[in-house]
Amino acid sequence: MLRLPVLTILMVLIAGFLFFRKKQPAPTTPAGKGCVVPKEWLVSNPHPVTPAEHLRPADQTFLTYPEWFLVHSPAEMADFAHTHTTTTFPFLYHVKQLWQSYGIVYDQIKGSFPFNTGYHVMIWVIGVSTTVEYAFKTLYETIIGRLTNPANGAVVTDEDQFNARLMQDYVDFIRMRPWYEFDFASRIPALFQTTSFFGPYFLRKLDRKYMLLTELLVKTGYGYLIKLGTKASYDEALPTTAVVVDRFPGSGLTSHPEIQVVKAESDGSALLLLPRYEAFHPAVAALVAQGVGFREIAGNNSAILLTVLAPDTWNPGFPECKPVFTQPIKTKPGLKRVAVVTPVRWLAQTVRLLKEQSVNIEHIYDY
Amino acid sequence: MRLKHTLPLSFLLFTTRGRLQRSSYWIVSLFIFSTFYVLYTLLIESIGDQSTYFLYPLLLGSLTTTAMKRLHDSNCSGYWLLAVLIPVLGPIWLIYQLGFKKGDRQKNRFGTVPDEAADYFKNDLGQLRPGLKTGERIINDVTQLNPVVVAEVFRPTSVEDLRERLRITTGPVSVGGGRFSMGGQTASPQSLHIDMRGLNQVLDFSKENRTIKVQAGIRWCDIQRYVDPHDLSIKIMQTYANFTVGGSLSVNVHGRYMGLGPLILAVRAVEIVLADGSFVRASRTENPEIFFGVIGGYNGLGIIATAELDLVDNVAVRRKDQKMARSDYYSWFQTHVRSNPDAVFHNGDLYPPAYRNIRAVTWLKTTEQPTVKTRLMPLRESYPLERYFLWAFTETFFGNWRREYLIDPLIYLRKPIHWRNYEAGYDVAELEPRSRTKRTYVLQEYFVPVRQFDAFTERMAEIFNRFGVNVINVSIRHAHADPGSYLAWARGEVFAFVVYYKQRTSETARQEVGTWTRELIDAAVSLDGAYYLPYQAHATPAQFHRAYPDAKKLFALKKTLDPDFRFHNLFWNTYYQPKSLES
Repeated sequence: MLRLPVLTILMVLIAGFLFFRKKQPAPTTPAGKGCVVPKEWLVSNPHPVTPAEHLRPADQTFLTYPEWFLVHSPAEMADFAHTHTTTTFPFLYHVKQLWQSYGIVYDQIKGSFPFNTGYHVMIWVIGVSTTVEYAFKTLYETIIGRLTNPANGAVVTDEDQFNARLMQDYVDFIRMRPWYEFDFASRIPALFQTTSFFGPYFLRKLDRKYMLLTELLVKTGYGYLIKLGTKASYDEALPTTAVVVDRFPGSGLTSHPEIQVVKAESDGSALLLLPRYEAFHPAVAALVAQGVGFREIAGNNSAILLTVLAPDTWNPGFPECKPVFTQPIKTKPGLKRVAVVTPVRWLAQTVRLLKEQSVNIEHIYDY
Repeated sequence: MRLKHTLPLSFLLFTTRGRLQRSSYWIVSLFIFSTFYVLYTLLIESIGDQSTYFLYPLLLGSLTTTAMKRLHDSNCSGYWLLAVLIPVLGPIWLIYQLGFKKGDRQKNRFGTVPDEAADYFKNDLGQLRPGLKTGERIINDVTQLNPVVVAEVFRPTSVEDLRERLRITTGPVSVGGGRFSMGGQTASPQSLHIDMRGLNQVLDFSKENRTIKVQAGIRWCDIQRYVDPHDLSIKIMQTYANFTVGGSLSVNVHGRYMGLGPLILAVRAVEIVLADGSFVRASRTENPEIFFGVIGGYNGLGIIATAELDLVDNVAVRRKDQKMARSDYYSWFQTHVRSNPDAVFHNGDLYPPAYRNIRAVTWLKTTEQPTVKTRLMPLRESYPLERYFLWAFTETFFGNWRREYLIDPLIYLRKPIHWRNYEAGYDVAELEPRSRTKRTYVLQEYFVPVRQFDAFTERMAEIFNRFGVNVINVSIRHAHADPGSYLAWARGEVFAFVVYYKQRTSETARQEVGTWTRELIDAAVSLDGAYYLPYQAHATPAQFHRAYPDAKKLFALKKTLDPDFRFHNLFWNTYYQPKSLES
């Protein structure tokens, strides 16, 4: 039966062409070919004032993007899940966004910094896991989910509502803590307690129960393994980011207990500890509101990456920050994510200008 | 073409009967999913979302049926697909079962092993063509180059049957078995063609004496199946097990065995039906002139009805190979192979088109465990890789070069251990091209005394290259002297050069083959050698008699035993009485 292999090769080639052809809008559009960040913004700080235990590599502001994309993506999904079943969620589009953006951020730092093996390994692990998860979801939703999906993807079953809650809780959790600490196991009994067995859309209910149960079981097991693996291979990360500011804000900090003062210098500058991750941006915004400028963040004075969510037509329009790439938010037409960089010394100004333009900063990547 | 190859794709996609092996399942799954993706994407983009729903019955249907057939491969009912309903564990088990588990090696309640052929490749029973008279059939050999219209095909089921038919009839008779000779030795125009394949019984077997007596229409593979459970093996046969014993005896075959030679060395006795239907037993001591005339005698004296053959132990053999310059081969062979008591099989592959390098392949007796799971060679439905290589070596630029420096080194990385019976069980099907209409693969063979190895190789290479012959392989074998058959090709210790080449089927191409063949025959004969007779009869009568000086004795014997020249075929028509056919 020679015909079958020949036909198969032919179909795989056509399928590959359809999958990889350029579509509009492209999932990710780089601002230019290769490195678009000025090279002088990509120099490690030779003499940081920040104490050694608070230093982090300068290239990590870029490398944390793919990791954070895995927060942005569930966040988008959680938003979507309130109004639509996730059956039609563009999983593969997100997979493309993940890998394309990883390629672009790597283009920025390639050659300017030593290869950060540990971080790349971590990105590959989470990237491949997410790709596999999204691929399986696409496969399942296309083969089965689509057949039971209520008209217009309406969230009418208990199970789809359960899914929306789960997604939201999960996103809220991973903004603060690593995903593998999320308690998937306790949601398994909840799945059966909060949903009826019989009811309208009976097939949909069965299908969702099967799918959600599978997802919760797999993530419980996989999360457990990753937790073991992470403990074995990575040190416990500090929950804070040290910043050196040019002006000690003094009493302005009283309403912000999350910002700790480590040392105030005689020239007016100060070493502060800000919360890391999700809470870093609000803390930065609070300092900027008091007219404070930044000299070092985690010991770095080179480029720092930010993403903003802005209307389709938006452009930064000021030279202090350079766009790196844009990604359309597929489930919210008209909205796009723009990744921009600015040197640490201009961060305050950039935050201020963005605020004036009423553009939302999605995240500041604090190395 | 075997039946399975002619079935449409829908048979694979939408029926639940039978078994599907692992590799086919991967291919068909890839086909289903990629086709679905292509159609799905095109429909959504051209018509719209709703239009895709009609794809689902096809998708789910084909996924279910192919998965059921894959489950059958491990003797599981298709209902095991319901395991998918158990979250996590069900799908994991199914993924393993469908995508990774090897199927049963034996026949199970759902069918035979997929892609395993039920039997060795066989030639047809005689083809019918429009315009033939009642009873007439076309008898052709495996090359499809020698179609002959015979008056009738007769397939005896007992020796008595055969004798009776010869007694009550007059006129020309031709005899065929497996029909793997390549020059019309099995047919003659308007003859009564006797298809010996019905006479395929084992008549006597002695484990202690290591002998077996068989009817001559039995195939070597059938004997292998019979003796293998007794840990015995056929002493001498050819590499391919499709042939019938009678056919092999009539051409006095040889194999790759070391320390042996022509098949006659392993024959104790034969029984012959003569032209008048009488029955004679012949051995080296009893009617020796018939024994030496009928073995390797191309069916000129009578029909070999039974044969008593020697058996030996079925030992395990390990393959060892070494590539060397052709000029080093002879002395290397003398020291490492000829006197090595452990060498069971040996051949040297001479690489075209330079013929300067040889890969010597020796199978040595071993006490290690064989690396193959089965004692006999499993038969396959198709040989896509073999077919591809044959095509690539002969039809692509640098095909021979790739074979010598890339493919063979990879193939010979493995050091397999086979049973002696396994290694003697090749199926001719592995050599079968998709079509033999425009081009065909043909064999020739030359024998020269061992000391003339280099002299002959040089002349042969010169002739091949001058004529641009598309040689696939020249395989070197060794044989000890023939004990006395009239058409002995090994009158002393010889090297055999088995030439496998590709030719076009047009008349001019055939004539060109004739020209270079006659040059090669001259080269072999001038070195006191011979050429082999089961192939196309390109040699002139003068060349034939120089290569086979005792042929005159055989011809004289034929005059007494077959005075009416009943036993015909292309060989006898060409060299014995060419005129009788015209009259």
